[in-house]
Amino acid sequence: MKLIDALELLKKPVPENAPPLRVCLACGFTPLHLQTFLAAQLRAFLPQHRVEIKTGLFGDLAGNLERLSSSDVDAVAVVMEWQDLDPRLGIRSLGGWRAADLPDIMESAHQRTAQIVETLKRLSLSIPVSFCPPTLPLPPLFTTRSQQVSAYELHLREIVASFLALISRAPGVRIVNAQCLDELSPLGERFDMKSEVMAGFPYALAHASVIAEILATLIQNPPPKKGLITDLDDTLWAGILGEVGVEAVSWHLDQHTHLHGLYQQLLASFASAGILIGVASKNDPALVEKAFTRKDLILTHESIFPFEIHWGRKSESVQRILEAWNVGSDAVVFIDDSPMEVAEVHAAFPEMECIVFPKSDYLAFWKLLRRLRDLFGKIVVTEEDAIRLQSIRNANVLREYSRTTHGSLDDFLQNAEAKILFTFGKRASDARALELINKTNQFNLNGRRFSESAWSSRLKNPETFLVTATYEDKFGPLGKIAVLLGRVESKTLFVDAWVMSCRAFSRRIEHQCLKYLFEKFKTDEIVFDFEATPRNSPLQEFFKQWLGDLPAHGFSISKASFFEKVPSISHHVEEEVIDGNG
Amino acid sequence: MTETDDRLIRCFSAVFPALAADGIRSASVESVEDWDSLAALRLAAVLEEEYGIQIDLPDLQELSSFEAVRHYLRKRWGVS
Repeated sequence: MKLIDALELLKKPVPENAPPLRVCLACGFTPLHLQTFLAAQLRAFLPQHRVEIKTGLFGDLAGNLERLSSSDVDAVAVVMEWQDLDPRLGIRSLGGWRAADLPDIMESAHQRTAQIVETLKRLSLSIPVSFCPPTLPLPPLFTTRSQQVSAYELHLREIVASFLALISRAPGVRIVNAQCLDELSPLGERFDMKSEVMAGFPYALAHASVIAEILATLIQNPPPKKGLITDLDDTLWAGILGEVGVEAVSWHLDQHTHLHGLYQQLLASFASAGILIGVASKNDPALVEKAFTRKDLILTHESIFPFEIHWGRKSESVQRILEAWNVGSDAVVFIDDSPMEVAEVHAAFPEMECIVFPKSDYLAFWKLLRRLRDLFGKIVVTEEDAIRLQSIRNANVLREYSRTTHGSLDDFLQNAEAKILFTFGKRASDARALELINKTNQFNLNGRRFSESAWSSRLKNPETFLVTATYEDKFGPLGKIAVLLGRVESKTLFVDAWVMSCRAFSRRIEHQCLKYLFEKFKTDEIVFDFEATPRNSPLQEFFKQWLGDLPAHGFSISKASFFEKVPSISHHVEEEVIDGNG
Repeated sequence: MTETDDRLIRCFSAVFPALAADGIRSASVESVEDWDSLAALRLAAVLEEEYGIQIDLPDLQELSSFEAVRHYLRKRWGVS
């Protein structure tokens, strides 16, 4: 982005009532154009927000961080440069580059990083912190030629690397990837000495723009895609299965089909992180079944669900896979080597990212691997990620049971040996609770999303309570699948947020949640902060059982009405209280 | 109005968003409240990027009005 484009973007009017996004840009140098670029990139990513950038005092990165109060901002962007570790590592100081000074500079850098670690750990408990480590070339202060690295320089880099490793373990800290920065901003073009001397701003405009873009991405933290649907022939493997046979399809180095092996390897990595992998292939089902018995496959049969193998249209396969996964098309990526198939699926699902597999273009393939990691990248792999595929398989067992046997849901649930654990307690570090709130669409009381800082500050309110539900039955665990956030005011119970994963539908967990609330709080009425959204009709249908009609904003349900109409619920219920909630 | 004027007006409009379109050509340090040292640095950076030039510190003092900037670009960098 050019500076003039950034300034023009910031001139555009913000929608009325746009929620503020208050970001603190903490750096030791004059923020100048970096502030402009960061504000513009955030506006570009989040046009429905009013972006406000706050900055601190020139030359005092550590102090700026220490003075920062988590209630003032929604996110922090920290940009560190070498001079923040010791002013002698910058060019504005004339403190000395004598050989004898170097041990002291190292010691100073060590102490400064130790000081900043503690501040960042404290801040990241309540607000997300995006951190950019030093990006500029070091000045020629070491005694070696520039071609030869100095032991002191290595020690300095070791200090920074140890510091980054320490802060990376704090749950709210996101660190700019130096490799990504190196690709986008050549090292030799980053430093603007004139600007540094004249204005105390060390970055060339292009470099400032790149740093701002990466930081804005970390602050925005877009939700990862949930599933990938892949073709088989000339995509997951090289060759047409129906023509060459099971033994001749390949993905190996010696047959020059190695990129298909790498593709499988990436998909297997995705599956291990809870990303759903489905197959849509025009093929003979028996042959595909046989192909997946090959022991040398990197992406195994168990990692894939469902398989849509037939000669019908790909868009029909994709539709069925979306139904099995119960996710929206915008959360899924489709990959096929045929541009025609890709176009057909994209026409049916315009919001889906549809990609042609570049089977003979190595550069394009390398970019595809990187692109896919970006689309599906997640900061942590949770317990729920590990069991997601199994629980979706189980949900389909339940659906299939209902469809084929016409047996009653009561019978099924009574034999399911279902257990629900309600956890009553406010733990801001529970990333899964916030993740569920922010990504659940269908069973969602109002579609309201929370930033990490807003969530943390909400939980600090003494009147607020938080309940999460964890479910398992004889088919396996579903993990933490429901979150209820509410408050008690004048003996009335208000539910402000309620979400439940679509994997947990048809098990009457939602009924058990309400029963739990009525009994836990001994209340006669629950008021719901309901808003209709384009996608929360499953929740609306649930409440229709009690209201007789679709719910309206601020509706309530009485205890008497609830217990009069609630169907049989036979879960084994346990409760865990983790702090003085509510 | 020349193409150069159009480009320069765009630069001024971006750096001084509160400035009305009909006030840009007469804008100066004295008449524009927002024209502080920070805005001067921003204007110089935008001009450098837009015209591919390098503005020296002593020259920065000269750039005190729209007309002065136009004159500087023409005389120092041959932008016409």
